[in-house]
Amino acid sequence: MSYAIRIEHLSKRYMLRHGTSAGSLKELVEHAKRTLFTKLDPRKSEEKDPLEITFEEFWALKDVSFDIARGAKLGIMGRNGAGKSTLLKILSHITEPTSGKVSINGHISSLLEVGTGFHPELSGRENVFLNGAILGMPRSEIIRKFDQIVAFSEVEQFIDTPFKYYSSGMKVRLAFSVSAHLEPDILILDEILAVGDMSFQKKCLAKMDEISQSGATVVFVNHGIEAIKDYCDHAIVLDKGKLVLDTTNIDEAIALYLAETP
Amino acid sequence: MQIIEAGVINKDYWKNLWQRRQLLYFLTRRDLIVRYKQTLVGVAWVVIRPFLTMVVFTVIFGAIANLDSSGLPYGFLVFAGVLPWFLFANMLADTSNCLLANTGMLTKIYFPRLIFPASIFIVTLIDFLVSFILLLAMMVWYHIVPSWQILFFPCFIFLAAILGAGLGLIFATFNVKYRDFQQLIPFILQLGIYLSPVGYLNSLVPRRWEIIYSLNPMAGIINGFRWSLVPQSIALDWRVTLYSTVVSFAVLWIGIKVFRAAENSFADTI
Repeated sequence: MSYAIRIEHLSKRYMLRHGTSAGSLKELVEHAKRTLFTKLDPRKSEEKDPLEITFEEFWALKDVSFDIARGAKLGIMGRNGAGKSTLLKILSHITEPTSGKVSINGHISSLLEVGTGFHPELSGRENVFLNGAILGMPRSEIIRKFDQIVAFSEVEQFIDTPFKYYSSGMKVRLAFSVSAHLEPDILILDEILAVGDMSFQKKCLAKMDEISQSGATVVFVNHGIEAIKDYCDHAIVLDKGKLVLDTTNIDEAIALYLAETP
Repeated sequence: MQIIEAGVINKDYWKNLWQRRQLLYFLTRRDLIVRYKQTLVGVAWVVIRPFLTMVVFTVIFGAIANLDSSGLPYGFLVFAGVLPWFLFANMLADTSNCLLANTGMLTKIYFPRLIFPASIFIVTLIDFLVSFILLLAMMVWYHIVPSWQILFFPCFIFLAAILGAGLGLIFATFNVKYRDFQQLIPFILQLGIYLSPVGYLNSLVPRRWEIIYSLNPMAGIINGFRWSLVPQSIALDWRVTLYSTVVSFAVLWIGIKVFRAAENSFADTI
């Protein structure tokens, strides 16, 4: 098997509600009441119910198929609402596809956000362990890498200070640093490279190089064209949930993406 | 090789849950640290709430209404009802809120979602143990010596806990879609504390109401809790106890089923 991830006819449908603000018990009861009344009184059913709840289908992804080779560095491009995040969420197991199939070879680590689960009241040290556990790192691995993680984040001095007193720069540095020390077969990143100052960003890219040189497959979404150009060897372009380009010619993908953007 | 497809039930769910036990450990630790280390009031709160409830109920039911206490100190009798009730109530309230409280994690990273209620389960039991120390102190103070029935004591703690957790799982699932289910809970708990034998003994319930009264599974659990501590003063009705046991396990089972059935769509609907 040469692929790390094979995606076949993948679709994801969301139902959009119209008519009322979504999701309250009271509205549900009122809706049931109205439906009942219109049934009892057929004359009324001809009038349009101003508060009627209607559903509209929205396909965030529609029939997407492609392979990601083992060890590839895939960049996903597309405008807002193109389906990039939905695709990553399906790959990360957070949401179910409506139809289609994904086959995954290897262990996936996904970072859809930096610092998921960090708690403001806990110290930096405790947060490193908590976040490591959330990302699926065994405790022994966190202990072994703890010094590296802290050194990479450059917050040594404050590691036992409650997280809420960190500056926002320190917060993202520590959070990214935990993520950067994962050893996944497949790494999924959603626009998280834009953290920290310039020198920290350089460090992050260097770390990503290191991860992919270890043979890992990397999938990432980034609006920054530079990062994709420098880093990726495979690109796809999505538009309104459809796959419009699947290529190893990064320049071609970037040209198409830029042409699409008004 | 892992396959993701629509509507496929994950057969390895319980195995995955077990594999993520370290996450359970750290989530539990997080909740305990936040409550017990950082805020002094947090610890006190765990003890003060049941304690003040005990004081008020003792005054109302014991001193003013002068209800029969079967020869027991009224304060002790009430506290032995307040503790299992608070265990149940806290379990129900916290479990039902566990998904909304962790929305950030829910929408950004995958792991078996039952880890959230599992961590609440442990934290709430630890809270219970803290307030339990006060009950021990009362037993020493009143020279109450338990006998062999004390062996059943952990069973009744467990029943109150799983009944609360089971109901909590059902509420947690509905809360994801209909937020105002959350507002029902304080109301249920407010009424429930009077409909359960917290401030008085089960034996005071008139015979003709007995069956209807015992439909509330907490009635049998609280009575059993008291019986295991002071069997010489409290009678145990085995049929009621059996009923409460069956209902508690059934509710937990249904709760897990409901939660699991909706689990895959939590991230989409929350």
